[in-house]
Amino acid sequence: MNTNAPEHPSMEMLSLYAGGDLPFALRFRTGRHVKECAACERQVLSLQSAKTELRREARAEVLTGFEAIADWHALETDMLGNIRVGVAAARCIEKVGRRRRIGARLAWVVGMAALFAAGWMSRMPPEDTHRIITALRRVVGLEQPAFNGTVVRSTPDGIAVRAQGATLTLLHPQSAVVSMSSPASVTARYIDDDSGQVTITNVYGQ
Amino acid sequence: MASKFRFIFGLVICAASAFAEDQGGWLDWQFPKDSPVLMRDHKGFTNVTMRGPSMVVDLHETLILINVGKKPICALTLRVEAQDITPWGKGSVIKPSLFVLPGEEFPVKVDMQLLRPITAAKSETAMVQVSLDCALFSDLKAYGPDKLNSRRTLMVYEMQARRDRQFLGRLLDSGRLPELRAELNFGMQDSIPRQLGLEFLRGPHVPVVREQALAVNPVNFPKAPVQPLSGAAQVAGNEVRAPHVDIRNVSKLHVTSVAMGWIVRDDHGTDFVAGALTSRLLIGPVQTSSINESGTLRFSLPTGQPMVIDRLMTFVNDVEFADGSLWIPSRDDIDAATQDLTLRRELATSPEEQRLASIYRREGTEGLKKELKRVSLPN
Repeated sequence: MNTNAPEHPSMEMLSLYAGGDLPFALRFRTGRHVKECAACERQVLSLQSAKTELRREARAEVLTGFEAIADWHALETDMLGNIRVGVAAARCIEKVGRRRRIGARLAWVVGMAALFAAGWMSRMPPEDTHRIITALRRVVGLEQPAFNGTVVRSTPDGIAVRAQGATLTLLHPQSAVVSMSSPASVTARYIDDDSGQVTITNVYGQ
Repeated sequence: MASKFRFIFGLVICAASAFAEDQGGWLDWQFPKDSPVLMRDHKGFTNVTMRGPSMVVDLHETLILINVGKKPICALTLRVEAQDITPWGKGSVIKPSLFVLPGEEFPVKVDMQLLRPITAAKSETAMVQVSLDCALFSDLKAYGPDKLNSRRTLMVYEMQARRDRQFLGRLLDSGRLPELRAELNFGMQDSIPRQLGLEFLRGPHVPVVREQALAVNPVNFPKAPVQPLSGAAQVAGNEVRAPHVDIRNVSKLHVTSVAMGWIVRDDHGTDFVAGALTSRLLIGPVQTSSINESGTLRFSLPTGQPMVIDRLMTFVNDVEFADGSLWIPSRDDIDAATQDLTLRRELATSPEEQRLASIYRREGTEGLKKELKRVSLPN
């Protein structure tokens, strides 16, 4: 079975094509098929002639009855096609409206997200951001769980020891040089601007 | 519901404020009656704020201390203990390179922050206690309870200070001013001590899947009494766990403690001197031993970004012998250990050199000469 064989357009589609009522893309595609398919071309010509006949009769006001219509079936198809086009157009308009509403909502969400991001970048300290990201990574399992023992660490403001839910931080200026000094101990060294003396702070964990 | 919450929050704020008004409740200081150092005055302030379910206590105090002894004081350690974290953690403030003559006063600033749960119980004593741990005199004798092993630490600082004063004094006396400038140009971009962030975790180990063993490369000082042989550590990203080093005592004396310095190289090839870890161990002459550190170390850049560890190096920072004497590397030892100028400078940087460099930058050669003369010991 040749799956690439072109499928014939429906009668409604041919009817709309014959009346020039199809949108551009569909018209182009149906037109290509009609040019290559003799049966469909005949159908289109038949529809067009029926339509022409109808118009002519209407203009001449000599339409006397159903028998005046040469091809009743073609006319019925054409009318049904027109009704369907109307219904489809209404649905299209409804879809466009809904798309616009969704677009507006999306734009609002993106705008708010951009505003939030700008506020976050300008107001939130990087270390807090890092802490939050770390916490989120722990939640999703990308990072190991939080440590519950004694923690000795350096922070941008000082060196700290955390135990039992409390934290003691010895503060130092940003110029301080931080290093390890003994097992479970962190040291910060800096020159005290007032006295010119070196100050060394330590925190110890056990 | 909201009004009830506001009422409770108001009560908490009132309670904290009432607490804060009682200054003695936050900070207390203790100097024994026979101490060679006493507190003459103090000034500062305490600020209490609420942060969610926690109370933040900012303590900023300047203690004016006076040497009431008979000998010059070279260095001093104040112990800082907060009741909320005792006995699991504590802090200290060290003033090295002092040279305070009898009767002279000197300031010590204590800036700290205590973050504690509002619900934490409070004892009768002050929330933070500051007390004298150790004072080191110019004859290298010490006074104080030494609960933090401060005597050894102060001795190392003082020996480094004397080494660096002697070295700089020699440069000045022999008129080698370009060398002096090169030594003390810490203000230059490439000479500012490299900063890094540290975190030390002690407690139950959480296994890391990516962990792998990394060899530790020794940096040898030719005349060191203890030589590092080899070592290894478990490394995962920016974490170092369970580092161990095999060492040999090549001296004829019994060694009682060794401080191993650690150099961390990141994935960009930059070396950071991470500090020195002191281990207590007894090693006889020509014996070998192993130093094992428990816990996990995390390294980061000052911005908080994790630092990927590419290489670990170790060196002997100082050695304590059974007779109480100490060895530290000389300037010649440091020069012979590495050809890397930046690393050499990092190894040689002591608190005293940092202080003298600051004087040199402010007051020039004359200021440096004057300071070296002031702190010089009488023959």
